[in-house]
Amino acid sequence: MAKKKDLFYKNFSMLIGLILVSCILLICILSYIYLPHEPNEMNISDRFIKPSENSEYILGTDNFGRDILSRIMIGSRTVLMVGIGSVSIGAFIGIALGALSAQFKRVIGSVIMRVIDGLMAFPGILLAMMLVTVVGRGVQGSIIAISIFMIPTFARMVNSMMLDTESLLYIKAAKSYGSTNMQIFFKHFIPAMLPKLITQFSSAVGSAVMIETSLSFLGLGIQPPNASWGLMLSEARQFFLQYPYLAVAPGIAIIMTVLGFNLIGDGLNDLLIKRRSQA
Amino acid sequence: MLNYILNRIKSSIVVLFVVSIITFVVLMIIPGDPAQLILGTEATPDVVQELHSAMGLDKPLYVQYGNWLISFLKLDMGTSYLYGESVTTLILNCLPVTLSIALYSMIIATIISFIFGIISAIKKNSFIDYFSRSIMQLGTAIPSFWIGMVFVVFFGLKLKWFPISGYVPASESFLGFIKSITMPSVVLAIGEFGLLLRIVRSSMQESISQDYMDMAKVKGLSMRKIYLKYALRGAMVAPLTIIGMQFAKLVGGTTVVETVFALPGLGRLVLTAVEHRDIVLLQGLVMFITASVILITFIVDILIMFMNPRIKTFERGE
Repeated sequence: MAKKKDLFYKNFSMLIGLILVSCILLICILSYIYLPHEPNEMNISDRFIKPSENSEYILGTDNFGRDILSRIMIGSRTVLMVGIGSVSIGAFIGIALGALSAQFKRVIGSVIMRVIDGLMAFPGILLAMMLVTVVGRGVQGSIIAISIFMIPTFARMVNSMMLDTESLLYIKAAKSYGSTNMQIFFKHFIPAMLPKLITQFSSAVGSAVMIETSLSFLGLGIQPPNASWGLMLSEARQFFLQYPYLAVAPGIAIIMTVLGFNLIGDGLNDLLIKRRSQA
Repeated sequence: MLNYILNRIKSSIVVLFVVSIITFVVLMIIPGDPAQLILGTEATPDVVQELHSAMGLDKPLYVQYGNWLISFLKLDMGTSYLYGESVTTLILNCLPVTLSIALYSMIIATIISFIFGIISAIKKNSFIDYFSRSIMQLGTAIPSFWIGMVFVVFFGLKLKWFPISGYVPASESFLGFIKSITMPSVVLAIGEFGLLLRIVRSSMQESISQDYMDMAKVKGLSMRKIYLKYALRGAMVAPLTIIGMQFAKLVGGTTVVETVFALPGLGRLVLTAVEHRDIVLLQGLVMFITASVILITFIVDILIMFMNPRIKTFERGE
């Protein structure tokens, strides 16, 4: 009975995660088809319209009279692009480095793993902030900085999983009938690691979105007049004491996205890894 | 046991070394001449050249790195061109602010996580278990700058319980100090307690399912005593490690919150250094913060080793 209830809770939270992420994806796709207003169009006469005050601006307007709904919609593109893009790049490099270091354990492997340890030692967004100083601000800078931030987790994961699987019989068998390392990696290691990698990918997108919005909030990420949810909150800071509604929509959008990807990550972890090992 | 400590020292030094190389190299490849940056665009090339060699920028990179590392170890991190003060002084001025909010928020996060973690482990699959699991998910998904802004409006402006920004040193007024750091610390704690709660819950669950728990029940001890004295004691190691790790990370991860509440801490200093491309300051800060994180993690690991007999025997190979 308790098990059933637990299962229900877990499936339910995964479902919520899926719904949240689909909502964001839908908003993003919709932004290419239809936008209620030009996101960067300023109407000084229409400044600070509160939500539901004017049917033309459903979520209201900001300090420049720009439509908040349109900016949220166009912001979803940046968030998803930076989030998914940076994790993809980081995962790709991380997997390659992890595999390399598991394959050549001695010199190359230990050098790679020490560098990974070093990268992991930087706390929080300190590494991302330092990298932004070098690669510059904006979408490109954020993607580079966050993808470097993502490398260590994937590299460590792949490295330890490969070292665990290496001694298993089917890998030894594959070696014995002359498969090359590349063949073994793609035919045996990758399928074995896929569930964990997918899980990690989803959770990593959640944290990448968090880092992107934090960087934009600090003025180190997406630059105005482009729209990003973090930047919208940062711009709202000057005015939100009088107009608190300015902070509502971007905040909820960020929470939905991060929560969505985290819940999917947790759900997949449960579905693909834990239940499988129990069976 | 001694082996374990020596190994930890060795690996910490290696990580520190790698971190110093990364910091140095990354900030060296920034386009632009630091000497030019300090003097501005109107300086004559001769003057720039002079400062350039005075700063040692004409020497090969490895010599520059060596000099930088040696002076860092002597806690001489150079002079910030932005403030015109030594980086060490700047760091020491900002450190108390960051340390106090990091410590305060860790205390809050620990209390919340232990209360909810223990209850939801004991009453597994009850309402409170699902409630704390949902809150935990939400806590990690809420951006700290957003919840900070909400707090400022609600507790600062509407209820007027706490000041909305600024920092009052403890030497000036203790109550004012506590008031000024409460909101930032709560905001930080909201971001931190999710992971901790998860760890407390799972290690408590594991501890409850151990054989010695049945033994304690058979002995007829009260459930309260069983949970708090036996189960909790066995479930302390993992949460303590996480607390240490999170505290260490907070020392470098307070930038956003310090910006929202206008606190003059280390995070703000990092942001200013990044904004103005003050490389000397940024190098010193990144190195100092990361070195402290490594040091704190090391100390926590050693403390836990003394608390946990399992690690001791494992190292003896028994």
